Formats: sequence, C-alpha cells, structure tokens
Amino acid sequence: MAFEEIYELYWQRIFRLCMGYVNDTDLAQDLAQETFIIVWQHLPKFRNESSVGTWIFRIASNNCLRQIEKEKKFTKTDLPVNLEEKKQESMEPQIQMLYQFISELPETDRIIISLELEEVKQAEIAHIVGLSESNIRVKIHRIKEKLTQKFRENGF
Amino acid sequence: MDSNIDFKNIWKQQTSSKPNLEELIGKLKKFRNQNLRKLILANIGLITTSLFIIYIWYRFQPQMMTTKIGIVLVILAMVMFLFAYNKMFMVFYKIDQTQSNNEYLQSLYVVKSKQKFMQTTILNLYFIMLFLGICFYMYEYTSRMTIGAAILTYTVTLAWIAFNWFYLRPKTIKKQQGKLDELINKFEEINNQLKES
Repeated sequence: MAFEEIYELYWQRIFRLCMGYVNDTDLAQDLAQETFIIVWQHLPKFRNESSVGTWIFRIASNNCLRQIEKEKKFTKTDLPVNLEEKKQESMEPQIQMLYQFISELPETDRIIISLELEEVKQAEIAHIVGLSESNIRVKIHRIKEKLTQKFRENGF
Repeated sequence: MDSNIDFKNIWKQQTSSKPNLEELIGKLKKFRNQNLRKLILANIGLITTSLFIIYIWYRFQPQMMTTKIGIVLVILAMVMFLFAYNKMFMVFYKIDQTQSNNEYLQSLYVVKSKQKFMQTTILNLYFIMLFLGICFYMYEYTSRMTIGAAILTYTVTLAWIAFNWFYLRPKTIKKQQGKLDELINKFEEINNQLKES
C-alpha cells in the first residue's frame, strides 16, 4: 500500500485516537503527524504479517503512550487546554464531553475505547494492546459503563 | 438504562483538517535532524577536544611518564563518555515501535532503567578519570615551580575538583534521575493497568 493511500485512509482515524488520548487539538495534530512520520519511515520494513490497520494503530498508540516523555519538556499547564476549549465552543457539547471524559480515563483505557469507537474489531484491539480478547471485552464493557454514567451525571 | 448513548456516532463527528503531504514530509526532515543534532554536537565537541590534547602532547613533548598517563586518562574519559552516549542513543532508537502496547511499555521501562544505571555509573567514571588525569598531567609542570606555587596550584585545582565532585556531580545526577524516575514510575504504572484483569 502506498503512503499517500494510507495517509488518506487513516488520517482522521489516527487523529481521533490521539484526540481521545490528550483532548487537545494541537497536541493531537502533532501526535498524529508524528505517527505518520514513523509510518513513513517504517513502511519499507512492513511485511504483511498483520493488517496495515493493526500495524498503524500500534504505532499510533505507542506514540501516544510515549507522549508523557515529551510532556515533561513542554510542561503543559492548564492554560492551553482552556484556550482550546474556548476555540471549540461551536462544537457540539456531546463531542467535547466524550473526548474529555475519555482523556480522563487511565492511559490504556483511552486507547482501548478509542479503538472500539473507531470500530476496530475486538480481536484486533487485543492484538494492538497485547491483551487477551476476553480481557478486552470486559474492559470495553466497563469503560462504556463508566462513560455512560458520566454522561448521565451531566444531564444526558 | 434503556436508551444507550451512541458513543460511536458522537466519536466520529470529531474531524480535523489533514495537513498536506508536502508539509508533512518537510517536517519529517526537520524531525530527523533535530534528534541527531545533539548527538553530533557532543561527538564533535569531545573529538575536537581530544585532538587538541593530542596536539599538545605532540607540540610540547612532555618528558615525564605521569604527564603522558594524565593525557591518556583524560582522552580515555572522553572516549568512554562518547561511547556510552552513542550507545544509549542507539538503544533508544532501536525500540520497536510496531510491537503491542504491552510489549512496548515493557521495552520503554527496561531502556529507561538501563539508562538510569548507565548515566550514574558513566558520569562517576568520567569524573574520576578526568580528575586523575588532570592531577597526573599537572605534576611535570608544578615540579618545576617553587614549592609554594606548586602547593597553590594543586590547592586551587583540588578545590575545583571538589566543587565538581561534591556539588555539580550530585546536582546533575539528581536532575537526571528525577526526570528518569518520574518516567520509569509512570511507565510502570501504565503497564500495571494492563496487568489487572
């Protein structure tokens, strides 16, 4: 598969995954770009052992996990996040809420639920994260319950 | 809970404008350079210093064995430091980014722990070799001075060494370790999220 094709196909999906992880548009853009840079560098080495999707989502989620390392350099304060929220005022509150709630989950849960909402098969999620499928199923169930509860608390 | 919230539908509405491909590839080049620059600078800096020291050896032809031992120790200290620094950089770059999150977190954890050990050990060795080298090197030149001047020279040098060893070294280690510990703990914590079932 050519890089251009992958880029077309996966940009939005990868962006959403990063956005679920950090809930910050600029940061998510950066993370998504970094992911594609890594994809571009590693594409020649990609053999069809797993699907392209699994491969890309692994790179993207690993890059997100590594984000904390960079966080230290910039020391993200609350300020940019607040500015971000103002910029997004026009966006529907449910969308904002969903991404905010997800970004407040434990790191690995953020990745799992983002992949689930992206309609990645649970077997594939298991393969990306490195847990058993039954384990993933249980986790997804719990996370969805938690999210639903949070939405209800906020009047939905 | 009768009406389930359609999370998937809400999720999908989030979109972002895609940067164009050329822009991305431009960034790619910058990204690569940025990471290499520090390594290259450290290499150039220490290699140039080593060459300069070798030039001094050649130019001034020291007579005593101690001077030569001193020079060799200082150069060895720098070579060792460079070797360790380059190796650490490579280890970091060799982490397979396409493994599963679980495996990836474990590699990050291992690499960071290794880095922590190496930083302290190498830094201590570097300082010891450098100081010993300087003390040896000075001997030939101070032996030609009057006793008073020689004592003064060694006192000043030893004071400077003590300042480095007792103040700068612990401070550097503390700074490095603090940052690393934080990362190691965080990676461990995330890794534990995957352990509980």
